[in-house]
Amino acid sequence: MLRVFDFFAHAKSESLWMAHFCTGCCSLEMAAAMGPRYDWERYGFLPTPTPRQADILIITGLVTKKMLPALLRTYAQMPEPKYVLALGACSFDGGPYNDSLAVIKNPTEILPADVFVAGCPPKPEAIISGMEEIKKKMKKGIPSAASQGGLWREMKF
Amino acid sequence: MEGDEILMQNIKNILTSYETEYVEDYKKVWIKTKLEKSSDLLEVAKALQENGLRTISTVSATDFLSENKIEMNYFFEDILTKRNCWLKCDIPREIENCSIDSITPLFAGADWHEREVFSMFGIKFTGHPDLRPIIVSQDFYDKTPFRKDFDWDAHEENIVENMNMIAESFANEEEENEKKLDPHGSDTILNWGPTHPASGPIRLKVHCDGEDVISIDPDIGFVWRALEHLVTKKDFIGAIVAVERLCFMDNINSMVGYCQAVEEIAGVEITDFAKYMRVVLGEVARLSSHMMGMAGFYNAMGLHTVMMWNMDMREFFLDFLESYSGARIATAAIEPGGVRYGLQPNMLMELQSALDKFDKTKDDIRAIFIKNPTMKLRAAKLGIITPDEVLDYALCGVVARASGVKTDIRIDEPYAAYADIKMDYVTQKSGSSQDRLIQIFEEMEQSIDIIKQAKKHIEEKIESGEFDPIKDHMVKVPKKLPKGEAISRVEWARGEVLMHLVTEDKATSPYRLKMKAPSFNHTMMLNHLLAGETLSDIPLVFGSLYICQGDLDR
Repeated sequence: MLRVFDFFAHAKSESLWMAHFCTGCCSLEMAAAMGPRYDWERYGFLPTPTPRQADILIITGLVTKKMLPALLRTYAQMPEPKYVLALGACSFDGGPYNDSLAVIKNPTEILPADVFVAGCPPKPEAIISGMEEIKKKMKKGIPSAASQGGLWREMKF
Repeated sequence: MEGDEILMQNIKNILTSYETEYVEDYKKVWIKTKLEKSSDLLEVAKALQENGLRTISTVSATDFLSENKIEMNYFFEDILTKRNCWLKCDIPREIENCSIDSITPLFAGADWHEREVFSMFGIKFTGHPDLRPIIVSQDFYDKTPFRKDFDWDAHEENIVENMNMIAESFANEEEENEKKLDPHGSDTILNWGPTHPASGPIRLKVHCDGEDVISIDPDIGFVWRALEHLVTKKDFIGAIVAVERLCFMDNINSMVGYCQAVEEIAGVEITDFAKYMRVVLGEVARLSSHMMGMAGFYNAMGLHTVMMWNMDMREFFLDFLESYSGARIATAAIEPGGVRYGLQPNMLMELQSALDKFDKTKDDIRAIFIKNPTMKLRAAKLGIITPDEVLDYALCGVVARASGVKTDIRIDEPYAAYADIKMDYVTQKSGSSQDRLIQIFEEMEQSIDIIKQAKKHIEEKIESGEFDPIKDHMVKVPKKLPKGEAISRVEWARGEVLMHLVTEDKATSPYRLKMKAPSFNHTMMLNHLLAGETLSDIPLVFGSLYICQGDLDR
């Protein structure tokens, strides 16, 4: 039996807007995914300049110490339900900058991600398929990882 | 003696009138020297400036822990007559005595470079008008992260406190601004960034009165990865990973710069085939970067069609990089000793289809581009840079050439196979935002021409059997390098990249690598260009300066 809430979740998931927020180099491939060849608008994704209308926050690769407060503040400004997509090796463990101490090595421990997309940088196809994974999660009504935990609640931003 | 030699001799005469350890020729267009006394620096700099070396490319420090000294390197350039001077001097290492005269009052372009050295090494520049930390995050203020004895691990133990401190300092800044400015007036400080859709991670603190911009103070370092420190932890090949991440838009040419410095210290000469491959790959990367730059600019202006066309063309060039190296962007295709892979015949076909795509689209872009009224009305009078400013602020690449200054490292100090390629300076006249964009477009055509020449040469040589595309791509470079240092300059998509590499004896990893990247100087110009304009002009001028945050922060 189709329930009303299922319908809402379905509708929401098919029109995902992402906050236009770039923290690192993976944003270049994100731009390519928006471009004409990959054209992620076909799947209902749209970048929006304001976090107040966004459904998804994308951690595009590395997060530096200076950037983290801005990232968390953007996340906090987004309305529920909100999901986080982590791109690239950097957002998992620092990736190629793992030895560099100017970069946060565990951004997704601080702000847990719902879907990780591997690569350095991941290809546009991979980014789109990562977004599709988030759609599935939304349709099933699974709450986002960041709403369940993460260090971000204890931090100042 | 020829004219050039007389001019070079002039520099030597100036230098020998001071106490120096040595004055010697270095490569074709450089003179290398070391001052005995650091107190002479200001006088020497002044004399050089009067002799025409008006531009300071960068200021770099090397920390020699075992010899208990810090060596300062100044790279003076004369862009017009192509003469350069590499000047060194030693200063004491103890933090109390570690100071040197600032050359910023003479060379406006040294401003941020000295601030950077101050932030990284704690060297005080006496007489600097505005010696605040730059790039580093707040937890590194008053510390010396790039000194060899800095304990990063101990610093990292307090990460939670540090992170909270950074967040607090942003909040405090806001409060202070509120107090400083009249609450009833219309003055305010706006944050343009840290992630404005028209830019990458940079924060411009825009002091404005209503819509009018009074001043702009760029706050940079949002993608500071300490690459220059990171390479010292890797071996010479592993360092490529850090060097290419200088900026992903054009990663090939930065790798070429680094590899040339390594090859110079190792004393290795690469094959002709590898030289031509570096030209082809470098120009493809330059094109993909230029297309992204143009796309970004038009996006900021609201003209999405041209953006989409550019992004579409770019994909074809990325296809070539992908079929060559297996990666669209992080190619790691250049290695000390040559290029990483051989060339398969189908790759050249892929390249040809990219060239065809460009030829098909370029007339459409030109028609929209030049006829576009928005462009004429808005961009033609905005952000004008004069040739004098180019020399004083050490601007380079697209920005410099749009102002009519003839500078191009590919011609001034040819590297790879550029000496054999027919090319000339492409320049514009007025130096406005519009000209900078037209300049990018015309350089794209120039790059296409260079690729065609190089491709033809490679095909001919393969046919005649002189090039073996499978085996010729690499010569061996020893894993351990001797003690030495080298500088190498390349014309990057955005301008001059200068790599200063220092190695110790039997080195397996770089001792110090200074990467001078062009966006640093261009961002310095923002306040100068935008004071007095309106808020809506910021994205346009910012976009036209072709700034990438990756090479801004490093």
